[in-house]
Amino acid sequence: MQGLGRLSQEQIVFGLAVLLCAGFAVALPGFLTTNNVLNLVRSVSILGILGVAMGLVVIGRGIDLSLVALMAISVAWTLSLIQGGMPLVQAIGIGLVFSLFVGAVNGWIVAYVEIPAIFATLAMGTLVYGFGRYYLFDLDVVYMPPAGAPLLWLGQGTLLGVPVPIYLFALVCLGGYLFLRYARGGRYLRSVGDNILAARITGVPVRPTIVMQYVLSSLIGYMAGIVTAASVASMNTRVAISTYVYDVILVVVLGGIGLSGGKGGIRNVIVGTLLIGVLLNGMTIMDIQYTVQNVIKGVILLTAIVIDTIVNPRDEQTAQQGDI
Amino acid sequence: MTPILELRNGTKEYRGVPAVQDVTFTLHRGEVHALLGENGAGKSTLTKMLAGVVQPTSGEVLIDGRPVDLPTPSEALKRGIAMVYQETSLVPSLTVAQNIYLTDKKRFHRLRGIYIAGQQFLQSLNFHVDPTAMVSALGAGQKQMVEIARAVHHNAQVIIFDEPTATLTPEEKHQFFSLVARLKSRGVSIVFISHALEEALQISDRITVMRDGRHIVTDVTSAFDREKIVRAMVGRSLSDELYGRHGDRRTRPAGDKVLSVQNLSMGNAVRNTSFSAFAGQITGVFGLIGSGRTEAAKVVAGVLKRDLFHGGQVRLDGRPVRYRVPRPAVRDGIIYVTEDRKIEGFFETMSIAENIYLGAMAGGRSRSATVSMGEMRALAREWIEALNVKAINGDARVIELSGGNQQKIVVAKALVQKPRLIIFDEPTRGVDVGAIAEIHQLIGRLADDGIAVVVISSYLPEILQLSDRILVCRQGRIVEEFDGGRTDEETIMYAAVH
Repeated sequence: MQGLGRLSQEQIVFGLAVLLCAGFAVALPGFLTTNNVLNLVRSVSILGILGVAMGLVVIGRGIDLSLVALMAISVAWTLSLIQGGMPLVQAIGIGLVFSLFVGAVNGWIVAYVEIPAIFATLAMGTLVYGFGRYYLFDLDVVYMPPAGAPLLWLGQGTLLGVPVPIYLFALVCLGGYLFLRYARGGRYLRSVGDNILAARITGVPVRPTIVMQYVLSSLIGYMAGIVTAASVASMNTRVAISTYVYDVILVVVLGGIGLSGGKGGIRNVIVGTLLIGVLLNGMTIMDIQYTVQNVIKGVILLTAIVIDTIVNPRDEQTAQQGDI
Repeated sequence: MTPILELRNGTKEYRGVPAVQDVTFTLHRGEVHALLGENGAGKSTLTKMLAGVVQPTSGEVLIDGRPVDLPTPSEALKRGIAMVYQETSLVPSLTVAQNIYLTDKKRFHRLRGIYIAGQQFLQSLNFHVDPTAMVSALGAGQKQMVEIARAVHHNAQVIIFDEPTATLTPEEKHQFFSLVARLKSRGVSIVFISHALEEALQISDRITVMRDGRHIVTDVTSAFDREKIVRAMVGRSLSDELYGRHGDRRTRPAGDKVLSVQNLSMGNAVRNTSFSAFAGQITGVFGLIGSGRTEAAKVVAGVLKRDLFHGGQVRLDGRPVRYRVPRPAVRDGIIYVTEDRKIEGFFETMSIAENIYLGAMAGGRSRSATVSMGEMRALAREWIEALNVKAINGDARVIELSGGNQQKIVVAKALVQKPRLIIFDEPTRGVDVGAIAEIHQLIGRLADDGIAVVVISSYLPEILQLSDRILVCRQGRIVEEFDGGRTDEETIMYAAVH
């Protein structure tokens, strides 16, 4: 709870996004066109859905570096199964089960074997990408076969003039919000992220909760993957070894979900997504080199964190954790 | 005589809220000055101003009568003022000698050199600490010795201790007191904050009592007694209510045997110990720190990891149980209320209501898969009222409350789980005097309601006042049992130390 007159990181980032948007709108002729705005939100939706997945894990004091790799491989596999003539629903089912299974293994390694999440999921990401490329399909890019056409609507269709991915992003956000606020599992997840020792003593099923958070992230990740594949009618598995997963983390951290766990919620993901989405889109229109974009992203993240610390200093008293 | 250190009309505000208001505090050369007050009275803030940790909003600090500016703790240290915190500021992965010489003027040291110098230096202070030992391997008392040695090494003329004895065993306390005497004979002035009034009366020359950020009284120690200090601290006399004559009290009869532990062993901490707890009774467990009392309780409640469990049997209502994690124990009604609420007690990003409701959910009281906001708020209201928690409403964060109120929330979170056996580990540690009485009354009510209550404490008056039965723990074993109504402090202490 912030005192009056103090801005939270969430509000700062939201302000930045609005400023940036206004700046681009004035400076870049192509920015405010309907086409570009739709394109922007569509691409941002996928980042946002992944942000929700990552956000849930980070709130539970974990991190899922295998998120993007798993998404790419399980969806690419789904596409190649469809290509091979398997019925759509069955192919999607297999891809989903694979994704959930890997998520559960992630959770099991983190919760029961007690490997730090950052290492467990880093290794899992590499494993999944290598496994997929070697055993499941031959090419880097798997195209959406004609039989998969019904899926295209999820990525390219519109409903009442608004692209479908935006509805899906909204839906995932709503689901995440309700889960964190009203579901028993969501409460458990927050308690584990906040203070795992206290959660354990209170009788929260700590380990199953950790497994659940990785399963959830793989589920939402799979959804994001289907939307991605539907938008561009293909899945480029090289995204698994790109820095895309760090963009997702950027969204989460920038939005104000602390890596120390327990803090923040879905609103933070939305705000972070907005800023990063606007930024990436604007930079692409300006034709800024990819490497320079990384510099800018890094500077933005540092700036946001620094401003947050200046505006909201850690309380001298609580930092000392003594009495007054 | 000019005081060596003085704060004149000091005020410190945090976000406009005064923590210390217009306090003048003087420290004479070579005196031991006890600073007393409830939690939140402003003691720590006052000493932090003196040690350069925080800056006064108004007022000035004087050393030897000259106004000085102390922007940082290291500036204060240069002028001979050192502060020793309750949570130590040593680097655990360095050795004792490395810690002592860490902030030395000389930037590079030979390891052998500082070990030899450290050995001589520690010996000159009569501290029995190995300079080559890793700090992480030391006990609380030894860590404190190292902190003090470091302060003395920096030629501190004034050493400020923040609750120095809170984590020490009685034996270590004795060492600490003789150390204070030695420092004093070297001309060092000492300020120490404490909740233990007997200690203050025993070792200080002067006493200052604070309340609500204000200075209440300063006088020579001989002008005080326990009663007078408590009255000054709380503005009312609580002493009888708190630690009344336990002799007049009737003990409760034992109900059914709820818990029975036989030949329990766990590592070196718990050795072949046996004890039981009965419904409707308070079983007090007294033991020095390190006697295995906490570990035994944690094994019973499934809190400790299973690979440490070496054997023995735990029976709940005659049925053998063995919990690998706390959850099934909680479901069976065995609740452990931790001694360290900051580390494993509550959820700091959650509100009071969310904390309590989480207890209800995890304890199996609320079976539904979704959270009912109405039920959550009602539960919070109920417990805030029942335990007299001082908070605006259930939406306040636990971290913003005082120690006593935080403890009440931790207790409420345990009680919503409907315990049959509840284990309080140091239920009043870091809790202000007013809340201690309330928590004690609450514990009594629980036993009256037929719950089996176990209270672990290293504070004898607390054990004597609360317990119907007293178990004494020593070196990992329950060694003696007393009837709560018919024993005294010396008898118990005798059993605990021999």
